Parts: sequence; structure tokens; C-alpha cells
Amino acid sequence: MRPIEQGRLFLRSQNRSLEASLSEAKLEMHELAIAQSIFDVIEARAAECHATQVKGVRLRVGEASGIVTDSLTFCFEMLASFDPVLAGTQLLIDIVPHQARCRHCAKEFPVKNFIAQCPTCEKWSDEIVSGNELQILEMEIEAS
Amino acid sequence: MPKVTIAQNILAANETIAQEIQRSLAARGICTINVMSSPGAGKTTLLERTIARLSGRLSIGVIEGDIETSADAERIEATGAETVQINTKGACHLEAHMIRDALEHIELNRINLLVIENIGNLVCPSAWNLGEDIRVVVMSTTDGDDKPAKYPQMFAASQVMIVNKLDLLPYVDFDLVKAKQQALAINPHLQIFEMSCRTGEGLDAWCDWLVAFARGNGLVPGEA
Repeated sequence: MRPIEQGRLFLRSQNRSLEASLSEAKLEMHELAIAQSIFDVIEARAAECHATQVKGVRLRVGEASGIVTDSLTFCFEMLASFDPVLAGTQLLIDIVPHQARCRHCAKEFPVKNFIAQCPTCEKWSDEIVSGNELQILEMEIEAS
Repeated sequence: MPKVTIAQNILAANETIAQEIQRSLAARGICTINVMSSPGAGKTTLLERTIARLSGRLSIGVIEGDIETSADAERIEATGAETVQINTKGACHLEAHMIRDALEHIELNRINLLVIENIGNLVCPSAWNLGEDIRVVVMSTTDGDDKPAKYPQMFAASQVMIVNKLDLLPYVDFDLVKAKQQALAINPHLQIFEMSCRTGEGLDAWCDWLVAFARGNGLVPGEA
């Protein structure tokens, strides 16, 4: 059987020195793939807007999304540093709390450790209000 | 300095491909499950035993995800199932575009159930939709009973939990009641199967459920 080789995620950029830095840093982590997805979106939008520099990117990241924001920032900055338009771009991350709504008492309450149990009626809730967000809101650019 | 509104899900590109996959498989009447676990919990053995037991009842195609080697795909191929191996070369999870490519190597008109065996990892795969109808998380008695509490995203995002290696229960400090309680506290809708793929204990209940699932066009049996 000949396996289909999909290659490392970051090989999409076809940048050998980038690959070397990342494998040196042993970054085979969740946040790297997320950072690559952000990079792809921003790189494409920056080109559409004829941006000469992207100054900042604002994200909304839910508390329950499992993202370590320091790692995400680290991975994104490393990827961005190899692109002249994105180098130095700041990631601004708004954290959204993990919240649920109780069907019985209609109150919103914070979900602790993924257990959506209403502190008032002790019943489980199916209605997660927030906390799973992984969104790019906007970017701030300089354009020619 | 101009601000440009983007308002886009970070994983939107993956999500779009996953939805295309789900639509095209559903149109062919194929149900799809995405099987995830920590390394060594027994995903491949589960698939071998499941395929053998369902021979004649379901035609199963398998996409095997591994960082390196085609060892698992060779094991699955030996069962006679349509099999494709994806080697991610370091990436810790499968993404939808990999599944789209792999599907070109499967005779889709020969199967009615597609099983995707994800990379052994309880963190990353949970974030990436592959176009599956349901997600199955496998944990084993040698993993430790604290896995649901430690990796809650995975258990929150799954519909089925399998506890494997039940035959080893007398030899390990694994509290089955605690593991199930933790998992159900995170996800009260989890359908739980306890089994030993080695001895075959508990496999029939899972296989019957899977047949009901595949014949119900991807609806979770027992749910309206």
C-alpha cells in the first residue's frame, strides 16, 4: 500500500528556513495548526486590501476552545516573521467565557471544567451560550 | 490606519470542506464515524474486530491516519475492507482536505460505512471537523480513569465513548464508575460501550448499535 503523504502543515508556505525553525522548536502542537489557519486568512485578506503592513489582528477565542493563548501568539509571530507584510503583526485576543443557560431557571451561569451544571437547580444544561468561539474579528493595516 | 472587518471562523476553510464531504457522502448513503483516542487505546484493534463481526452486514471503508508508517492500514486491509492510509508527517491531527484527497482512493459505491481512524491524540483532533456524522472517543483501562476530566473538549465533542481493555481491569487501578461519571458530567448524552477487543466481550452491543446507526442514515440510535 502506498500511503498518501500530506506533509507538515507549515510546509504549505514552502519556506525551508521556516520549516527548519519550527522543527528546531519542536512545535508539533495544536496552536501551530490554528496559527497557520489565521496566517492563511490574514495573508489572503492583506493581499486583497493591498496592505503594505498588517499591524494587528483581533481574535475572539472561547475559554472552552482549548487554545493556550501564549502558545498561539508564539506560533503566529514565528509564522508571520517570515512574511514581509505580516512580520511584527500583533495578535489581540479577546477571551470569551464558557457560559451556559439553565432551561429550568433560565439563568446564565459559568461552566466550570466543562461541567454545565446549574449552580441554582443543579440540573445539567444543553444550552451552551458561549466559550467555543474561534473567530478572526478584524485586522488593522497600512495600505499603499 | 484602516481597520478591515474579517468576522470569520478561524477554521472556516476546514469547515467548508468538511461540509462538502458530509453532503457528498450522505448523498451516496454512506454514514461516517471519526474514531479518536490517545495512542495505544486500541482503535485499530477495535476496527479489525468490528469489521470482522460486521462482515455481510455492512461494507466498511477505512481511512487510516498516522504520523508515519502504513502498519495500521495493512492490518485493516487484511480484513478485506477498502483502506487508505494518510501519513501526516508530523501533524498531530487529520484535516478535512486530507479526507477529501483520501476519498478519491476509495471505491465509494462499494461501502455504506466510512470509518476514519484519527491520529492518536486526545487534544487536537477534536477541533477539526472531517465531515463525519458522529465522533467516537476510545479510552482504555490502561489510560487512567482521569482522561475525561483532563481532556474535556474531546469528550464534550463526541457522541460515543468506548471503554476498551476491560479484561485488564483486575490488574490496573482504573475506576470504571469514576471514568463514566466524569465523562457523563461533561457530556450527559454520551453513549457508552464497555468492551475488550481482545476477548470480544461487549463487542456485539457496539456492532449492533453501529448497524442501527448506519441503517438509520447517520442518526444516533435512540435519539429523536
